Amino acid sequence: MDKKTSHARTIVAYIVLIFLTFLCLFFFYILIVNATRSHPEIQKGFSMIPGHSFMKNLKSVLNDANIPVLSGIKNSLIVSSLSALLATYFSALTAYGLYAYNFKLKKPAFIFIMLILVMPTQVSAMGFINLITKMGMINTLYPLFLPSIAAPAVFYFMYSYMQSSLPLELVEAARIDGCGEFKTFNRIVIPIMKPALAVQAIFAFVQSWNNYFIPALVISDNSKKTLPIHRTTVKRRCLYLLQHSEARTSSSSTWARCTC
Amino acid sequence: MAGITFKNVVKTYDNGVTVVPDLNMEIKDKEFVVLVGPSGCGKSTTLRMIAGLESITSGDMYIGDQRMNSVPPKERNIAMVFQSYALYPHMSVYKNMAFALELAKTPKDEIDKKVHAAAEILGLEPYLDRKPKALSGGQRQRVALGRAMVRNPEVFLLDEPLSNLDAKLRTEMRSQISKLHKQLGTTFVYVTHDQTEAMTMGDRICVMKDGVIQQFDTPQNLYDTPCNLFVAGFIGSPQMNFINAKVEKEGEGYVLCFGDARIKMNRRELAPYVGKEVICGVRPEDFHAEPQFFGEGNEIDAYIDLDEMMGSESYLYLNYAGQKLVTRVPARYAKKAEENIKLAIDTEKLHVFDKDTELTICQ
Repeated sequence: MDKKTSHARTIVAYIVLIFLTFLCLFFFYILIVNATRSHPEIQKGFSMIPGHSFMKNLKSVLNDANIPVLSGIKNSLIVSSLSALLATYFSALTAYGLYAYNFKLKKPAFIFIMLILVMPTQVSAMGFINLITKMGMINTLYPLFLPSIAAPAVFYFMYSYMQSSLPLELVEAARIDGCGEFKTFNRIVIPIMKPALAVQAIFAFVQSWNNYFIPALVISDNSKKTLPIHRTTVKRRCLYLLQHSEARTSSSSTWARCTC
Repeated sequence: MAGITFKNVVKTYDNGVTVVPDLNMEIKDKEFVVLVGPSGCGKSTTLRMIAGLESITSGDMYIGDQRMNSVPPKERNIAMVFQSYALYPHMSVYKNMAFALELAKTPKDEIDKKVHAAAEILGLEPYLDRKPKALSGGQRQRVALGRAMVRNPEVFLLDEPLSNLDAKLRTEMRSQISKLHKQLGTTFVYVTHDQTEAMTMGDRICVMKDGVIQQFDTPQNLYDTPCNLFVAGFIGSPQMNFINAKVEKEGEGYVLCFGDARIKMNRRELAPYVGKEVICGVRPEDFHAEPQFFGEGNEIDAYIDLDEMMGSESYLYLNYAGQKLVTRVPARYAKKAEENIKLAIDTEKLHVFDKDTELTICQ
């Protein structure tokens, strides 16, 4: 009896899990399938079977002079990696400063950083654009990664991680061993913080990779645009096509949803 | 090699709390000094001031002839063993021990030689490639010692290094540290709250309370001639018995009266206390049940609340005239709980303390 119920339970669990997996992966599958189908094929309607136009599609994407995808990928990679690196390293450095040292205004400094956390980017965007224009950094990649140095959320994460896993005795031991303050940070603290750094590096990377708002404001040169800007261009073009095509069927709106 | 001198050292924290009000102390070269006291007595702060991890508010601190007040820790030529060992978790045992030498730009082969020499003394050879988390408490402790050893420091600082170990290992490490001290021939400063550790390891013991040195002397002297009530109570296990007594004059001499007992004590120091109350201190082993000790004016007849048989001797918890006493008597003279026992007090070893100042009157 017991065996039977546990058997049934397993089956139910598998069915639920398979269904959830399908939900998660279906859209990726459609994405891949549509990448292999030609324009008219896609307009005809939705299909589970891949087409034969993958290479053609790829070529037309890569050769589109208005949308330099490759340079977009390169720019996005540069900006995202540098953002992740700067955000994690400098946030850890700031957190260490506030965690390991005692100084006047330590508490106000902490509160100030926390206050920056509640400021949305949009609020300060105008001032930011003004600033970088005056600094001569408009239409360059610098303003896309340099501000990651001040990442209050990452700072807070690092600070709490230090509280839980960096005993000050270790820092003191390093000092007695003859380690300078900066060396202590780089050789003792950073290796201990590795798990936290990895987690925050992933978050910072993804956030920067998906960031559209600031790059759209700062970059006007086509060769310096990052992927999210190109993607928006493609999307606009799709919508335009859709609005002007006669075959405005339900299948083509599915296509728009899947590809854009 | 170097001794350590404190001259009128004051330590006040930023929040205004003064932990060490005025410290004067001289630790000689190659000496093993134990700082002991209850928690919060300033012993760790004192050690951290030697290390340079805590700033000195005023006064001077010397290591050897050099004034060290503003010298950073790394230039003091000291090594420290922490209570939590503070081993670098991401480095192997070998790296942990070699770290300080690497920073000092010691040649590779010399580092190797020193680390292996230290590892051999401490029995760490098989574990050199392991990370600290793969070691037991005792092994970590030895790595921490090894890390300090390889640097050939002038002063060895140990901050409660044994308190995270189990009882058996603690005894073992105690003798190992003592041995190490003899082998290395450097100055050791050792902080503990455990009086057994202090008594067994120290050349001299500094008993502290509220940041003030109570007494700084050899273990034997601390035990035999404590300078006040605090030291008398802190050193020794089981604790010294304190009995409230009244001083009376009897003929040429004096007697201490409590309960029915009248203990003869012919000491001139008691003269100002005639008619006043004092505190008598008697060590548990200074009560004698053996017949040859009985004499006139040193006996008490006490009721046994509880007896603990330890084999060769027996601890008796007594109730005498409303005061709780502990004694240690040879097992064959001991009696069982709920009986009465007649005991003689060794008046030669009796301590008398002033009730107000808590200072020793005579002993």
